[in-house]
Amino acid sequence: MSRIASYIDHTLVRADATPEQIARLCREACEHRFAAVAVNEVHVHLAGRLLRGTGISVACAIGFPLGGTSTWVKWYEARSALRGGANELDVMIYLGALKDGRYDLVEHDLSAIVRLCRDYGARCKAILECALLTEDEKVRACQLAVAAGVDFVKTSTGYGPSGATVHDVTLLRRLAPPTVGVKAAGGIRTYADAIAMIEAGATRLGVSAQASLQILSEERLLLENP
Amino acid sequence: MQLDSKTIDSLVEEITRQVLTVLKEQSSRSDVFQQATDTMSSCSRCEERGAQHLPKTIRDDTGRPGVLSDARITAQELARYIDHTLLKPDATYAQISQLCEEARQYGFVTVCVNPVHVRLCAQLLRGSGVGICSVVGFPLGATPTNVKCYETQQAISDGATEIDMVINIGALKSKDYDSVREDIAAVVRTCHNHGAICKVIIEAALLTDDEKIKACQLAKEAGADYVKTSTGFGPGGATLHDVMLMRQAVGPDMGIKAAGGIRTYQDTVAMIKAGATRIGASASLKIMEGARSAS
Repeated sequence: MSRIASYIDHTLVRADATPEQIARLCREACEHRFAAVAVNEVHVHLAGRLLRGTGISVACAIGFPLGGTSTWVKWYEARSALRGGANELDVMIYLGALKDGRYDLVEHDLSAIVRLCRDYGARCKAILECALLTEDEKVRACQLAVAAGVDFVKTSTGYGPSGATVHDVTLLRRLAPPTVGVKAAGGIRTYADAIAMIEAGATRLGVSAQASLQILSEERLLLENP
Repeated sequence: MQLDSKTIDSLVEEITRQVLTVLKEQSSRSDVFQQATDTMSSCSRCEERGAQHLPKTIRDDTGRPGVLSDARITAQELARYIDHTLLKPDATYAQISQLCEEARQYGFVTVCVNPVHVRLCAQLLRGSGVGICSVVGFPLGATPTNVKCYETQQAISDGATEIDMVINIGALKSKDYDSVREDIAAVVRTCHNHGAICKVIIEAALLTDDEKIKACQLAKEAGADYVKTSTGFGPGGATLHDVMLMRQAVGPDMGIKAAGGIRTYQDTVAMIKAGATRIGASASLKIMEGARSAS
């Protein structure tokens, strides 16, 4: 029995992902008991149908990966995803406003979606894209996300200049209250990467589809040959 | 005449080779592309909609677009090809303001920004003649049609005059062509109902040549105004090969926007000669500098 699978959002958010690949993603998620599949909104309906009753969540990326849509559009996109069957939303924050110090906009942008998630009994993750932030901005972004009421803060989209680091995960874990999860995402490819993130305080890992299967097979080898 | 994809491929390769040869010869001369583009005509569709004059395809004397050895473009005319672009997720208010100021100064066709910046640009560029281009479903194209339409509507009501939307690439890959066409058509209708231009990004770097051709045909069937090579966030940007292939696929009358990795004056001229009628660039100032020093 894998100990690491329940941490993993089995992820396929490539632009060219096909319904066939999403169906396989969902089959693998069922087989290995991952926490969730993470997909783009165009695939939410399919994933929701395939995973109904399995206990595996459907996480949908919103405003992804640039966070460059207005609050209204993110809200509409989020509602459409929740109606389509998503029960977790990974929302990219309004990064430009953070850089400009217009913190109320960042928080308002998130809290609108958090409220919507509450209505649907869904969970909300805020993606901070740490690789584009200074240390001060990371702290501020995390505080704003927590104030907005998110369920997770998440390091990266996987499309930024770099992915999760132990440093960032440690920082977010220290800043966020225990009720808020920390999701490490981007560049997690090996079992060692995954363990390092969990030890740093990550409660969820975003791992692309191929890598998560690789991580499980590494784990299996280690368990069989301790 | 019906051409199969192999024939098209070999034709395109041959044309690419010839263009590159011509360009190599020309880059050794300094007077490339300076003046009078009497071969250019204006885009009737844009004029119909009251939009600013947009250059149409350069044609050679056989009436075919692209592949033209002696066309010349002044710096001023070159600016009318360029969507001055800033799509980084961490773009600030100050950077967007500067983008608008530069667009006004150089006379670029549009500024191309994320939807969240459209309103600011509309305020800053009011009365300037510079259009505002918003991306939609960007850069993955993986939001459903209703979301793309809503996003389009919001962008236009915020002041966007042009919309660059990304197709549903996964649906194209799994040959669900009806979905791809309808997705594009819905956004095109939203644009045209509100007097905006619609460009369709096919993200060529993720597609086979057959898929590129198919995507262009679907965009044309859906009534789009332009097809566009790339988002700039994909695994590769615009290539001459893709621009020529797309020109062949859509025929002479549709716009083609080359975007992604176009960083020099030489790149820009090559793209225009290959059939591009619009250039998306974040290095626009460097391109304009190149145009000045070439003339």
